[in-house]
Amino acid sequence: MKITDAAVFPYPNGDTSVRRLALEADVLGFDSLVAIDTPAAAYGGVDVRSGIIIRDTPMRDIVNRMKRLRESGAVISVMAGDAGFNRAAIGLKGMHILRGIHAADKIAFDHVSAKMAADNRVAVDIDLSTIIGTRGIARQRAIARYRDVLVLERRFEFPLTISTGAASALGLRGVREISGICSLLGMDTADAERALGGVEQVMVPPLPPVRVIV
Amino acid sequence: MTPRPPTLRDKRRYLLVRVEPAGTSVDQKELYYTIADAITSLFGDAAAAVMIQAVVAAEGEYVFIRCRRGSERELAIALSTVTACRDTRIALRIIAASGTIESLRERIRPAVPEPRAPVEATEFTVGEKTFTAVHCNGQKVDVIEKGFKNAHRLYLTREDLELP
Repeated sequence: MKITDAAVFPYPNGDTSVRRLALEADVLGFDSLVAIDTPAAAYGGVDVRSGIIIRDTPMRDIVNRMKRLRESGAVISVMAGDAGFNRAAIGLKGMHILRGIHAADKIAFDHVSAKMAADNRVAVDIDLSTIIGTRGIARQRAIARYRDVLVLERRFEFPLTISTGAASALGLRGVREISGICSLLGMDTADAERALGGVEQVMVPPLPPVRVIV
Repeated sequence: MTPRPPTLRDKRRYLLVRVEPAGTSVDQKELYYTIADAITSLFGDAAAAVMIQAVVAAEGEYVFIRCRRGSERELAIALSTVTACRDTRIALRIIAASGTIESLRERIRPAVPEPRAPVEATEFTVGEKTFTAVHCNGQKVDVIEKGFKNAHRLYLTREDLELP
């Protein structure tokens, strides 16, 4: 299982080059990164996967973009919207991660969406930058929303991913620190480690239910 | 005043923390208030009172932070939520925890002299912009865009700057 940060934003979206992020991530205990709008590469011991985030786009355009991007090998994420939008997004072929649940409506991700995410192997992202970078009511809301998502995850077992959303080398956090922050959400170390391996889980095609031997 | 006998004193733990980016000078008092704010906003006043954290020493880019024994995990979580000290962007990397400052001193890595040519104060041109290197450690090179208006650091590598 590869320990992966599910979203970092290298230069020019941030102030750190992708090589430097990979170097820092290696020191902090990561095996791979998902770098948004950056080509895939390998630097030192860290694999950098290309990542794409689709946001503020009507569903029809998302479907068209998804058709084009499906074979690109990139980690495709969609920012969460209302309940109907999320269900439609989770049902799309080629979709990997649903992001921004903390900023969506309280009812935007319900038990139906959770069941669909488990069936389609779509991960829900836990963005730690909201917990690290905000204070007060915004942080409390994010923690409450993620705790609610984790209740559904325990019931339906859909994949989770964890991202620091780092736009700078200073925004990255070590695996142990991430595990500590996740403990605020009610995750133990095993849960956090499983979630850190979530990107690999959604990128590997599922085994067919029946295997033809002859 | 007679000091308390050792058996009646609070058991303490010390955390060794490295302040990033390298070369950032952080005022000990400012850092104390920053950490106190992080603990209070995350765990509340009651937990902060139990933790009794203090920044006891700063040696170069390393800082020693004290807390009550048993609360080091909460302190570590709070430290990972620190993003700035006053107006300076920082990150606190926890290196180790111990019962004595002396044992933590052994974990401090001495600065290794750079075998390659130093790049500090060297100017680089990326696209149309000119940058000045402010810190170099191994592969890592921190640069600042030239000009008094923009003091924002960029975190690059030697390879990015096509240095040997």
